[in-house]
Amino acid sequence: MQKSDATAPLWSSVAILRVVTFGFAVVAVFVHQDGYQRPGLAWIVLGLIAAWTLFTVPAYLLKFGRRVAVVWADVLVTCALMYTSVWILSPQQMTEISPLITTVWVSEPPIAAAVLNGRTAGVLAGALVAVSTGLTRGALTTDVTRDAVLLMGSGFVVGLASVTARRAQERMAQAARVEAATAERERLARNIHDSVLQVLARVRKRGKELGGEAADLARMAGEQEVALRSLVATTPPESSDDGSADLRSRLQVMETETVQVSVPGTPVRLPGTTVTELTSLVSEALLNVTKHAGENARAWVLVEDLGDEVVISVRDDGAGIPAGRLDQAASDGRMGVARSIRGRVADLGGTITLETAPGAGTEWEIRVPTGPGGKKGRHRVGGAR
Amino acid sequence: MTTGTISVMVVDDHPMWRDGVARDLSERGFDVRATAGGASAAVRIARTVAPDVVLMDLQLGSESGVDATREIVQNLPKTRVLVLSASGAHSDVLEAVKAGASGYLVKSASAEELVDAVTRTAHGDAVFTAGLAGLVLGEYRRMAAAPAEAEAAPKLTDRETEVLRLVAKGMTARQIADRLVLSHRTVENHVQSTLRKLQLHNRVELARYAIEHGLDAEPQ
Repeated sequence: MQKSDATAPLWSSVAILRVVTFGFAVVAVFVHQDGYQRPGLAWIVLGLIAAWTLFTVPAYLLKFGRRVAVVWADVLVTCALMYTSVWILSPQQMTEISPLITTVWVSEPPIAAAVLNGRTAGVLAGALVAVSTGLTRGALTTDVTRDAVLLMGSGFVVGLASVTARRAQERMAQAARVEAATAERERLARNIHDSVLQVLARVRKRGKELGGEAADLARMAGEQEVALRSLVATTPPESSDDGSADLRSRLQVMETETVQVSVPGTPVRLPGTTVTELTSLVSEALLNVTKHAGENARAWVLVEDLGDEVVISVRDDGAGIPAGRLDQAASDGRMGVARSIRGRVADLGGTITLETAPGAGTEWEIRVPTGPGGKKGRHRVGGAR
Repeated sequence: MTTGTISVMVVDDHPMWRDGVARDLSERGFDVRATAGGASAAVRIARTVAPDVVLMDLQLGSESGVDATREIVQNLPKTRVLVLSASGAHSDVLEAVKAGASGYLVKSASAEELVDAVTRTAHGDAVFTAGLAGLVLGEYRRMAAAPAEAEAAPKLTDRETEVLRLVAKGMTARQIADRLVLSHRTVENHVQSTLRKLQLHNRVELARYAIEHGLDAEPQ
């Protein structure tokens, strides 16, 4: 099945125009037949016009004619039929304002071309018909010029309308698809939450309590639970107009058995590049925790949005860093936490402080200004629930 | 309530989880009075058995544990609601706490943590995870920044903000007391006060909304 065409009403109009203008042609032959130099030929051409009308009207209405081949054949056939006026009309009729044999019946092909392929095609077809009019009349009169402007103008306007109609339809179809996908995603997330996650959480909890091999299984179930949870919890990345992203969704994914991520209930919007940089900073800090703070150290990440700046705290309850070791590492020229994290925070225009003591864990605090771009509309009341 | 066993009701739509939690608590000497699988059933049963603590899951199939929490807290002044929910359900947890829940515990918590949380809830303490503290902090800041709400919105004192931040960074009340040179009780009071102000504000807002929209009128 072909999808429904947004230009269907335009095609109906094309068909109506063709039938109505055919009426004009018939009347014109009746009125002017006495003056024709070959009345017999006039009736034959009128018959051909009727036949072509009989073909094109259903062709456009029933879709099979809405093709390049048919539409441009229509332009050519119409021009050819118009040119037969050269043998039908008397020289006197030709120089007077007597209508050509095809009359306004010729106005339809440029419109059909415009509906099919847009304004350029419409103008082009209009120009072709206008040139044929000029050739048939054998002169560039005021009438010919006026016809040319009208033909190309209608091609242009209708072409514009058909493109707009198609675009509107595409947008609506896209919006409908996004909506359907979101609804489906929510349904899936709900189902997974109600079934799989509950079981995994239960396995994790009981296994940990039972200990031994069960604890290993519990740990594996726990890892899968976290992975699955972040999969269903992260809302699909919204394509915001200003290129900003929500810092929360990127950091929440880092939550594991030993890492807890605390965030506000409303989005923390920052420029996309800043979010990416902060995300990598936090994961580096967390990696540092597992490397230096000890196997069983737990870590907490807190995200706070103060309006003009965003504060990210990373705390662990591990062994802590002996005083001076960071500075020593830096002065030794080793690329450690000190250089890499400090330098990158400075690049974001932010500051970083470190509190640590042997046995008391470490606590990083990263402060980054939200900047003029990131601050826009972040505190909308509409964000409240 | 301070003497004798603590009575509990478990609300969760997942039978396996519900029975597991109920068994854990029974084994450790709690009086599990009832279980429920849905919000409306939970409200109805809670009225009959009047437990000290309701353990409330927030995703109850098509029903919401937030509404059930609000109903239970309004109807049973002596019953406290402890939200036991999966992590990641942020806005729900915040809503439940605003509706009157005394605390929040993640489902992955160990049996010991659960026992401790239920006991503290029964004694009137607020049970805060780091995650909930982050949400509550964020909610106060959101209210302060929202022009329409800033006037009437409750505010945290500097001390409360300080305490809440430390909770959000995973510190226990004991550790916070040590660091700030306060008594353990004072720390607990600060934490509770942040919740109470939020809940009071929420009730006032709801009442105002009801009056403005004519919802307070007696049904004919």
